[in-house]
Amino acid sequence: MAGAAASPWHLSDQRPSPMIRFEGLTKRYGPLVAVRDLSLEVRPGEIYTLLGPNGAGKTTALRCLATLLRPSAGTAWVAGIDVLADPVGARRHMAFLAASMGLYERLSARELVTYFGRLHGLSGAGLDARVGEVIGVFGISDFADRWCGRLSTGQRQRVSLARALVHDPSALVLDEPTLGLDLLSGRTIHEFIRRERDRGKAVLFSTHQMDEVELLADRVGVLRGGELVAEGTPEELVGRLGAPSLAHAFLALVSEAGVESGPGGSGPVPEPGRAEGLR
Amino acid sequence: MSAWTVVCLKELKDTLRDRRTLLMMIVVPVLLYPTLLIVSEQLLLFGMRSLEAEAAPVAVVGEVPGELARLLDASASIVVVPIGGDPEGAIRTDSVTAAAVLGPSADAEGTRPVTLLFDGASDRSRRGRAELARVLDAWRDTLVTARLQERGLPETFALPVTVADSSIARPDEVGGYTLGRILPLLLVVITLLGAFYPAIDLAAGEKERGTLETLLTAPVPAGAIVAGKFVTVALTGIVAAGLNLGSMLLTFQTGALQLTAAMGLEVSLPLSAVLLIFATLVPLAVLFGAVFLGIAVRSSSFKEAQNALTPVYMLVIVPAMLPIFPGIDFGPLLALTPVAGVSFLFRDLMTGDADVLLGTLVLSSTALYAGAGLFFAARAFGSERVLFGDDEDRHEDRAVGGGAGWLLRPRGGVPSPRVAVGFVAMVAVLFFYGGVQLQIRLGEPGLLAAEWLLLFVPAVLFVAVGGYDARRTLSLRGARPLAFLAGALLVAGAVPLVWLLGWLQTFVLPIPWELLEGLEELVTADTPGRLAWLLLVLALTPAVCEEVVFRGVLLGGTRSLAPWRIVLLNGIVFGAFHLSFETVIRFLPTACLGVVITWAVWRSGSIWVGVLMHLLNNATIVSAASSRALRDALSDPEAPPPLWLIPLGVIAFTLGARLLLRASPPPAGTDGSAARPEPTSDQSAEPTTDRNADPASDHSERTR
Repeated sequence: MAGAAASPWHLSDQRPSPMIRFEGLTKRYGPLVAVRDLSLEVRPGEIYTLLGPNGAGKTTALRCLATLLRPSAGTAWVAGIDVLADPVGARRHMAFLAASMGLYERLSARELVTYFGRLHGLSGAGLDARVGEVIGVFGISDFADRWCGRLSTGQRQRVSLARALVHDPSALVLDEPTLGLDLLSGRTIHEFIRRERDRGKAVLFSTHQMDEVELLADRVGVLRGGELVAEGTPEELVGRLGAPSLAHAFLALVSEAGVESGPGGSGPVPEPGRAEGLR
Repeated sequence: MSAWTVVCLKELKDTLRDRRTLLMMIVVPVLLYPTLLIVSEQLLLFGMRSLEAEAAPVAVVGEVPGELARLLDASASIVVVPIGGDPEGAIRTDSVTAAAVLGPSADAEGTRPVTLLFDGASDRSRRGRAELARVLDAWRDTLVTARLQERGLPETFALPVTVADSSIARPDEVGGYTLGRILPLLLVVITLLGAFYPAIDLAAGEKERGTLETLLTAPVPAGAIVAGKFVTVALTGIVAAGLNLGSMLLTFQTGALQLTAAMGLEVSLPLSAVLLIFATLVPLAVLFGAVFLGIAVRSSSFKEAQNALTPVYMLVIVPAMLPIFPGIDFGPLLALTPVAGVSFLFRDLMTGDADVLLGTLVLSSTALYAGAGLFFAARAFGSERVLFGDDEDRHEDRAVGGGAGWLLRPRGGVPSPRVAVGFVAMVAVLFFYGGVQLQIRLGEPGLLAAEWLLLFVPAVLFVAVGGYDARRTLSLRGARPLAFLAGALLVAGAVPLVWLLGWLQTFVLPIPWELLEGLEELVTADTPGRLAWLLLVLALTPAVCEEVVFRGVLLGGTRSLAPWRIVLLNGIVFGAFHLSFETVIRFLPTACLGVVITWAVWRSGSIWVGVLMHLLNNATIVSAASSRALRDALSDPEAPPPLWLIPLGVIAFTLGARLLLRASPPPAGTDGSAARPEPTSDQSAEPTTDRNADPASDHSERTR
């Protein structure tokens, strides 16, 4: 059960209260269960990585959190706001970066960031200051007045981040933020994620790249078939499974063979019956 | 600044940077239209001048008296060419344009017959005839004058009555009348084009580029986003229409156009009429904006949205065209018809006799439709199934509040056979009572209204309210050109065969003579305008409306049955439907046609093939009945069809059937695109969801 993870609810009083919290979130598409009974928390100043193969339900889970999809059961909170009860309020405290980036081709980077600043209720001098700030932080001043359609992938990703961060949110939700980027651009993103964590932001990001997890994650949740099958610090996961590396641990967790031949006993390894049900 | 204005301002900026939109919104209305008009007029004038510039070569056969020879010489517009004895041949070979064959000369009180030979199919020959006739008339007049003088009678003796006609319409009224027929259609179309691309770009385009996902995570209610986008789309439509109206008026009113001046037309719309026309364009643009946006947001890509909107475009053109046809009286019913009311109101405003009551009716009903369209668009933006309608979300089930019976089921999918047949039965009854009433009260426009209001609208509502997957239920899919060709061939073959069948059954069934007479009157046209109207009412309208009901809902709902059952059931229901308002002798032929069309639609998967076939069949009957040569052959149901047609029909039919068999693979179950079970799906639930999955995937399931 996912609840057997490292940070059960009853402990949350002793730590800073979670900035992002999933509680029993389930998303069904007809008979298909994309996310099943997902519960996890991300605290301020923490990077939480959702790790999982393609189709494991990462994007669906993040979309539910971002109020783009309506959960079939359960819910999620952002900065203490229930996303089901007050989706607009929840969005105010959240930066969401979709895998597709999604920039308006015919707007310049500055116009795009300004537009989203306005949508977040900024205006006047406050807006200008904030737009100038993110443009500086993400190093896009050189191409700030070029149409987004004419930017390179790396430049586009930086504009996307500036767009997502323009309202200085306290929770960052990033869906595969380094997808399709080269090493250098990827590193820029990594640095940014760490910096935001150090500024006390809660960062939840999804990936299927192991090196990213090792570099960044304070905690990892492994999704398989829509279920959280393991959770903990990278070191904990490796240790618990007795795997030589995180990659091995991950493979063991997400492949059926791995589960059957994996170390029995304690830990978040799902019982065989469920594994069969997932297939 | 409120959220929707932020969205709207951004969308306007974005839209104004889109070349395609600019073209449709500004360039086309302002530049292309007057340019085209001037160019076509210049071409026309040039053609007329070049025709008149040279003298027409003519011939005169027979003994030419002195006066005539002098008159022929004097005329600058003809030149007499000597030919041999064959004037007909000379005209055929174009050596002369026309020829006068003089009969034997008469005595002092007799009449000399003259025959004018010309080629009625050639503009040059017709002009030569006219010029030659003018000379011959002058010759006759001199002879009359001479005869009268001889007897000492005044010239008025042979001219007891003179007739001169004079139109009481002022030149500007004539201009308004002429323009009032063409302009409404153009205004409606330009408004539509102005809203077309922005709607696609702002909805489907945004989905395709993935920006919608980002936009919806902004802390702004979906309603504000829809409002901002919608205002942008409506504004581009209004701007396009306004610019078009202005440029059109300027083009006509500057008087720079030689033709309008030459024809004695004057165009001067009072400012109040212009303002009223503009005021009517606003709700129209709002309606287009809302409907387009609502449809475009349901498509996942620019191209898909374009495909989905093209039929809407066609549907708008038909009612917008109505004022072009003569003899349609603008009444309350038309005022309430979307687009048609606006089009007629434009016409009346241009001719200067708009009715306040009808105008109010048009404005308020259009506003009402626009509101409904807006609601429809807003609902689409609020639905995650619509917004993330990619594969993983296909099985989305949404709670449906309220509604009885079949409404309380998961959205999407196709109706069950029972529901589909029930719906068609309901529509048939509705059509039987309502349609007859409409036809009695309104005549032919009533028939038109009945098809759209009692067949088309209920079918669309059924799919929308029932929450069915419109694409699958109505087979709204394109087909290869080959499939259309096959459909056309099938109809070409079926028409004579069905005719034969109709004739054969006259040996068994009684012929309702009175009814046939009425029917003949209905389908027989004697002017091109009337023919166009009949084609609209009896061919195009049934082709769309009846196909949506039978090959749309009925076929869509019964696709899970065995193929022969689908086809037979559809044919029988189609035949029975026609039984209700025609006669028993129509049943078998109509049912057979229904079977053929159903098979073609089932096989090709595209309702458009059915629409084409239905259209071709009905258009053939209307045109044949209106052709003088064919009318007699057709009007006697006891006469057999020409026998040589039968083998031709068989050949065309066989060819069409073979072509269709080759052009489209057999449809796999209900839907070829049925989602394969994903690795994450619940095994226990699979049998129910993937009843139609292909055998291959079944196999792989087992081997795993």
